[in-house]
Amino acid sequence: MARMKFLCDTERCIECNGCVTACKNENETPWGVNRRRVVTVNDGVPGERSVSVACMHCSDAPCMAVCPTDCFYKTEEGVVLHNKDACIGCGYCFFACPFGAPQFPNGPAAFGARGKMDKCTFCAGGPEENGSKAEFEKYGRNRLAEGKLPLCAEMCSTKALLAGDAPVISDIYRERVMRRGKAGEAWGWNTAYGKPEQAAPAAKEAAK
Amino acid sequence: MLYHIFKNGWEDKAYIDARVFGLDKVKAEVMTWTPERVQDVTGIPEAEVLRIAEMLAKNKPSTVVWCMGQTQHTVGNANVRAMCILQLVLGNVGVSGGGTNIFRGHDNVQGATDVGPNPDSLPAYYGLAAGSWKHWCKVWGVDYEWVKSQFASQAMMEKSGITVSRWIDGVLEKNEAIDQDSNLRAVVYWGMAPNSQTRGLEMVEAMKKLDLLVVIDPYPSATAAMAAMMRKDGVYLLPACTQFETSGSRTASNRSIQWGEKVIEPLFESKPDHTLMYAFAKKFGFEKELCKNIKVNKDKQGWDEPEIEDILREINRGAWTIGYTGQSPERLKLHMKNMHTFDVKTLRANGGPCDGDYFGLPWPCYGTPELKHPGTPNLYDTSKHVMDGGGNFRANFGVERDGVSLLAADGSASKGAALQMGYPEFDHVLLKKLGWWDDLTEDEKKAAEGKNWKTDLSGGIQRVVLKVYGCHPFGNARARALVWNFPDPVPLHREPMYSPRPDLVDKYPQPDDKKVFWRLPTLYKSLQTKVRDISKEYPLIMTSGRLVEYEGGGDETRSNPWLAELQQEMFCEVNPRDANNAGFRNNDFMWVETPTKGRMKVRAQVTERVAPGTVFLPFHFAGWWQGKDMLEYYPEGAAPIVRGESVNQGTTYGYDSVTMMQETKTTLCRVTKA
Ligand code: SF4
Ligand code: SF4
Repeated sequence: MARMKFLCDTERCIECNGCVTACKNENETPWGVNRRRVVTVNDGVPGERSVSVACMHCSDAPCMAVCPTDCFYKTEEGVVLHNKDACIGCGYCFFACPFGAPQFPNGPAAFGARGKMDKCTFCAGGPEENGSKAEFEKYGRNRLAEGKLPLCAEMCSTKALLAGDAPVISDIYRERVMRRGKAGEAWGWNTAYGKPEQAAPAAKEAAK
Repeated sequence: MLYHIFKNGWEDKAYIDARVFGLDKVKAEVMTWTPERVQDVTGIPEAEVLRIAEMLAKNKPSTVVWCMGQTQHTVGNANVRAMCILQLVLGNVGVSGGGTNIFRGHDNVQGATDVGPNPDSLPAYYGLAAGSWKHWCKVWGVDYEWVKSQFASQAMMEKSGITVSRWIDGVLEKNEAIDQDSNLRAVVYWGMAPNSQTRGLEMVEAMKKLDLLVVIDPYPSATAAMAAMMRKDGVYLLPACTQFETSGSRTASNRSIQWGEKVIEPLFESKPDHTLMYAFAKKFGFEKELCKNIKVNKDKQGWDEPEIEDILREINRGAWTIGYTGQSPERLKLHMKNMHTFDVKTLRANGGPCDGDYFGLPWPCYGTPELKHPGTPNLYDTSKHVMDGGGNFRANFGVERDGVSLLAADGSASKGAALQMGYPEFDHVLLKKLGWWDDLTEDEKKAAEGKNWKTDLSGGIQRVVLKVYGCHPFGNARARALVWNFPDPVPLHREPMYSPRPDLVDKYPQPDDKKVFWRLPTLYKSLQTKVRDISKEYPLIMTSGRLVEYEGGGDETRSNPWLAELQQEMFCEVNPRDANNAGFRNNDFMWVETPTKGRMKVRAQVTERVAPGTVFLPFHFAGWWQGKDMLEYYPEGAAPIVRGESVNQGTTYGYDSVTMMQETKTTLCRVTKA
């Protein structure tokens, strides 16, 4: 079974926002809900770098640990998904997440009134039937079920953003690092994937 | 950079000796540009210039990329020639990985340019001379005399028109000052954004004065809103569909052509451009002549639609100059179906049905489609045979100038050419002289008699020259570093019209005004002198350019929620030092005011991206006018999601001395807290 991960190569990202636009287009998320964002540091001065950030689908996901209604679940491919029907909009996951991934349609409103949490699904939908209308309306496209990878990485013009099976994308990255002759740790990997994988990922069925 | 290259002997001497003309004059000018003088004019210190010159000289090949930053100046023509000279001096032209790459702003700009929207040329850069008209009339299958009768006179037919950058002067200028009978009275905006053109305040005056304004666009666009602000009638909106709602060929910056399929049927009442053109021709009574060689079909609503494939076939039959002749619709469609057979590095098909072709048959793809020229991935590359995409510099300016040969030196022809020397362009006379005439078939002989490589409609001259003798139809000459027919044969520095440095205006002034230039009087020195000291009131340099989220005038992209969300407000980049001096902070509203009396209310983006003394504004915005939202002037429901001040309200007068390109990249402004 594959272990799906994201990797953003900060030496390559040109802050074009192609990934952000691809995500909005594919999942039809509303204005103000950004599953993916590009962050730039040292803007306009030497050393400027950009990185494209969304949910990293952590090995030992803090969001899962803190959710009071246990709405998160993990697929066999390591993708962290959640069940909007169970979400009460408390915002705990947002505070726990090291990447600022969880989004709330009503912004920073009070408890409950924030609306159901929304985040990157690795283009893998949610608990509803794969590819169903209900799944699309709540979670967006289920590309993984169609044998496709997330659209953000597929559309990245510089291939800074990689998505896929961990050994495959780390090999691509290792080869780049070797060619550049410059060591560099993949951005965010230690935080997201530094801990051992949560035991026994629950299958989609089990979460229902 | 050239100063350091020459000083250190980094130039490619053998290349220059064999393939470049007039470099000595350029070198003489260059060597007067000492590092101190360069720093005084540009602000860039010697070490930086030297570092980049050395990097280029010691890492070959390398390419130079630019967009409008080089061209939209009064000295744009000199800037781009300077870049080309830099590459020639380094021997970087005509080699894989070298050259100059001028990026186009959107889909098919290159293709549009190739089919002749410029007011000084028929399609494929044939110019406007009587011979050029006769060539195209033959291709179109229409009578030359009939075409001539459509013009007021033969003189008007052969006279370069007014450029798009100056249409407002065609309306507003005094009639006796312009070089045509009437002022402009009707204007058609066809897929063109008014806010990408300078002098917006004068533009709305011109719109007011017109008899008729037609807007053909997928969106009503800023044109419609600006016109609605000025007048209540005489403006017509025609909905055009986008490229996704029709099929056809599209040419990219690298001259390669792709076939695009229709993705969806045209939305609402929109029609593709060629359907609209046909409908106009029908109303004017010349639809038969327009489509002599082109099949006309009915679309789903019963409108007449010319067949796209036939339009390309007509281009193929006429555009010999640039080798837009071998790219038949069939060949292009085959490429699209077999994309996977092309090597991603060489762009060449390796086996399969397109074996040996370069992807998209980048022009020149000479001869008829049957000749199977593979296209030219890099121009002027002598390391390859001409039938393999090789080439050399064109002999377009005779064979000699001031007693010096313009032809390439012996031994510097393309690989395998029968003539291993410089040679002129081919015509029937040269073919006969060389004894190559009998390589033509009898039919080709009939067509080629009295013709040259670009007017022989049989393609016979090109076939024999390329295939049989491995030579280039346009000859083999030297690249001109010295362009004697331009106002500044050696590229010279001239201060912009609106300069922050009166002392530099005195040292590097603009040339004298021109009385007639593309039919219009055009100001240079008189205006520059008049505004010599204006930087006292407007101390900051103002430049403008693009954002990645939006395209062109931005009406389509600002109407797209996914893009609009990423850039929600028009802004101005200001250095922290200038912001602090003016007393505003990041995200405050600020005013940008320019010598046109344009006033733009925008968000301050305080950033080190710009140096102290310079501000940058993107040009994709429209829909605010001098601090006010223009929402009420858009047809209901048609306003873009994001609206903002257009920078070109504030850009000033100034035009390139050859091309009449507008000067958007440099003017002056002042900034205050709003
Ligand atoms: S990135 Fe945030 S939302 Fe995604 S799995 Fe990790 S903690 Fe949860
Ligand atoms: S598409 Fe790629 S290059 Fe562009 S912002 Fe996203 S990660 Fe960066």
